[in-house]
Amino acid sequence: MSIRIAVIDFPASNCNLDAIHVLNNVVNVKADLVWHNHFKESKYDGVVLPGGFSFGDYLRAGIIAAHSPAIEEARIMLKDGRPVIGICNGFQILTEAEFLPGALLQNESLKFICKWINLKVVNNKTAFTNKLNLGDVIDIPIAHGEGRYYTDNLKELEANEQIVFRYSTEQGDLTEDANPNGSLDNIAGICNLEQNCVGLMPHPERASEPILSPKRTDHGKLIFESMIEFIKRRIS
Amino acid sequence: MTKVKLNGNDVEIELTNWEFEEIKRKLNREPTITELGAYEVMWSEHCSYKSSRPKLKLFENAEENYDYVLAGPGQDAGVIDIGDGYALAFRIESHNHPSAIEPYHGAATGIGGIIRDILCMGVRPIALLDPLRFGPLRGNPHSQWLFKYVVKGIADYGNCTGIPTIGGEVEFDSSFESNCLVNVACIGLGTIEDFKHAPSRANNPGDYVVLMGGSTGRDGIHGVTFASRTLTEMSEADRPAVQIGDPFTKKMIIEATLEAVKTGHVRGLKDLGGGGLTCVISELTGDGNTGAKVDLREVFTREPGMNSYEIMLSESQERMTFIVKPEGLETVLDIFRKYEMNFAVIGRTDDSKVLKVFDEEELVVNIPAKALSESPTFKREEKRPSYLNELLTQKIPETNLSLDEIIYKLIASENICSKEWVYRQYDHEVGVRSVVKCGEGDSGVLRIIGTDKYIAASVGVNSKHCFLDPYEGAKGGLVEECGNIISNGAKPLAMVNCCNFGNPEIPESFWYFSKAVQGMNDFCRALKIPIVGGNVSFYNEDDVKKTAIKATPVIMIVGIIEGEKKIITLPFKDVGNEVFLIGETKAELGGSEYYSVIHNLEGGIPPSVDEKKIQNRWNFLFELYNRNLVKANHDVDKGGILITISEMCFKNKIGIDLDFTDCCEGHLRDDEFLFSESVGRFIIETSPEDHDLILDLAKQFNVNVKKIGVLNSKPVISVSGLKSGRFKLNLEKMKELFDSTIPNLMDI
Repeated sequence: MSIRIAVIDFPASNCNLDAIHVLNNVVNVKADLVWHNHFKESKYDGVVLPGGFSFGDYLRAGIIAAHSPAIEEARIMLKDGRPVIGICNGFQILTEAEFLPGALLQNESLKFICKWINLKVVNNKTAFTNKLNLGDVIDIPIAHGEGRYYTDNLKELEANEQIVFRYSTEQGDLTEDANPNGSLDNIAGICNLEQNCVGLMPHPERASEPILSPKRTDHGKLIFESMIEFIKRRIS
Repeated sequence: MTKVKLNGNDVEIELTNWEFEEIKRKLNREPTITELGAYEVMWSEHCSYKSSRPKLKLFENAEENYDYVLAGPGQDAGVIDIGDGYALAFRIESHNHPSAIEPYHGAATGIGGIIRDILCMGVRPIALLDPLRFGPLRGNPHSQWLFKYVVKGIADYGNCTGIPTIGGEVEFDSSFESNCLVNVACIGLGTIEDFKHAPSRANNPGDYVVLMGGSTGRDGIHGVTFASRTLTEMSEADRPAVQIGDPFTKKMIIEATLEAVKTGHVRGLKDLGGGGLTCVISELTGDGNTGAKVDLREVFTREPGMNSYEIMLSESQERMTFIVKPEGLETVLDIFRKYEMNFAVIGRTDDSKVLKVFDEEELVVNIPAKALSESPTFKREEKRPSYLNELLTQKIPETNLSLDEIIYKLIASENICSKEWVYRQYDHEVGVRSVVKCGEGDSGVLRIIGTDKYIAASVGVNSKHCFLDPYEGAKGGLVEECGNIISNGAKPLAMVNCCNFGNPEIPESFWYFSKAVQGMNDFCRALKIPIVGGNVSFYNEDDVKKTAIKATPVIMIVGIIEGEKKIITLPFKDVGNEVFLIGETKAELGGSEYYSVIHNLEGGIPPSVDEKKIQNRWNFLFELYNRNLVKANHDVDKGGILITISEMCFKNKIGIDLDFTDCCEGHLRDDEFLFSESVGRFIIETSPEDHDLILDLAKQFNVNVKKIGVLNSKPVISVSGLKSGRFKLNLEKMKELFDSTIPNLMDI
């Protein structure tokens, strides 16, 4: 059986084609770009909510997309354990739709920030990190204006091992300087309790080919490969 | 403003009496008020190029003379064939006046407009670049306000539409204090097939005219006539002439348009920019030798009660016009429905060669389709400014500063320091094409996914040089922008320009324009670079000081790099490698940052260009590239060679021992050598074993090449071989100064 992934195309999901490119041409898995109103979960083994500015993000990042019928389809996938990932705006949608806890607030600097940063892997048991090692430091870029993660339940999140990625230095130190947007406890990505759903602000699709990386790495690819590995284990 | 009598009423118009008489003569009657509005817009300087056209005729016909040029000047964008079935479209435009009074929306809608121009060529917009000019930031809240919100406007609009901003240029100079410059450039990529699908004319009678996108409102009425006069203190009242952007709708328009073009049912395509519906329909039918009947009541308006004059002249953003084959109408409309875009079939083309616009039963416009685009031209007087002689002979006063103190001051100066504060706010990576990113090279480099081919692009010009000598300054701009993409390994393929000048009715201002056009023309013909498009923005004046801006003929160059291995970046790579200076340094300090920052002078002799020498240097570099001999390359720009070298040291924290003994022969003073901004020079890093080969090749290509240093691991630039002895520069201190200037001024 061949694996099939959906990349949801909300109006102005502008990282849609980037995710499709990486899945189809770099990870070599079948991926369809599906217009949000046309999405039906039954055909798919996993779903990607890409980055961008869904519906212009005029009200609050991700809030309108969170009410799209596509999210109810994705919720079925979430519940039956299929992998769901939200990248950047996708992460914002996942918190607005309450797939994931917490919220993403405006960056501390009040400015949009586009730069390569380092992430430390703090949970490698999720559907999207099983090919990474605990403590790995990966190169990946961010590009967002509202990426400051906040939750009232940090202790709970920690206790449940829901923190997946933290902003760090190249050496893996979780310093304030390494935190680009003021996120609580340097949190860059989290998962649900069941660990089949991950949201992260950085863009793995922009870090999946050495030519795009300042250090010629392709760490982002491991996140997508983990997803495929998870699906293979799940269906076998 | 001219007062005229129209059908017995007094009317004020932005045309001359002679032009008004000419309109009446052409129509053989008095125009209606809506027709007069249409003429006023279409015959404005902004739309008609009535002052500039006679000069722009100098440029050679790019489409005729270069087989890879698919679309040249006069089209919405220049388009070139870059091989492998791909077409590359690019254009640059100004949005100066709107940005000067409403920086956020002015800049944002500038981006919106240039994206539409590229989209009109049927290709996907894949990159933005923005050359900007403001007054000095220090102690100047007005300049800081303009700078902050122009950058935010570009960022918010570009980021939301998913088009990366991959490059640009900023200069700060007091001549731009009240008239900032916001130029916007866009690059589009598609197949040659895509491009052929989307001509910007209505060739066939019987096709439908479809308006799609945003609704038509009362914003931006007479935006172009506003852009065709000098800004004054009264210009605040013109704020309603600035449009409001909606990047989300724009993103939907991009996707819907590209999908519609792919169907093959779209026969003509044009965006609504300056002049609104009037401009679009008259150009589509005029250029296509057809006519059209349009019903204004079909147009979806933002508010009720808009009259025909307002609907025809509105410059509301985010609108496109499609000429659609009858049999494809439903297919195209279904695409618009999918994206939930508003649309209306507002008319049909016919073979009448007349544009008829109805407001219900009333015929409000009834004029030959070509009439609006056949504006008169004006021969403007030109006169070299009398102040130039004095400026060119300015001598520099003594300074008590030592050379290292001067360099520390220069690297922290506004025009030289890091522009990271700007490009961090731009998503410069969306689209997964950005290979050489902001700060890593002299140009932006994009891959063409699925090939081993790369696009390099650069924009800019040196306004201070152009102020002293617009002819050499424009040529210097070409050398510099070509040099930027060559530094990254590209060969220049084509150029477009954006001419920012003062009031063309003032002979001194027009002289600057005329000389700059001559300079571009002479250089491009000599170096065989086709000019495939341009934009002219006049009336950039400071009403308070009664002076024009410094002449700014912005150049945009695109080129191609043939293979990943041929991409070269700016940072020094390895300790032990050698560093060479390519090209002669002359005592050309006029308009230099050294003069302005250290001596507060605007004069002196600016750099001049010797085309033959430039060609030799480029050929020499291409030969080194073919042999893979170059590890890093950076073109020498503002501040001179030590600034250039410092920038190369920063990223990998590599130091250098410099020995200028061989370079300083002759009569050059130390400051002349170090701070000259002679154009067309490069600093390259090479491996020591290639030393002899490089010097042999230099001889072969008749290029002046000198070894100037060796890289080491100490965080120091040590300089020797000067007439005044040696000195050292602390790299950490340099980097701190380089990085902190703009954040210190802006983040308060």
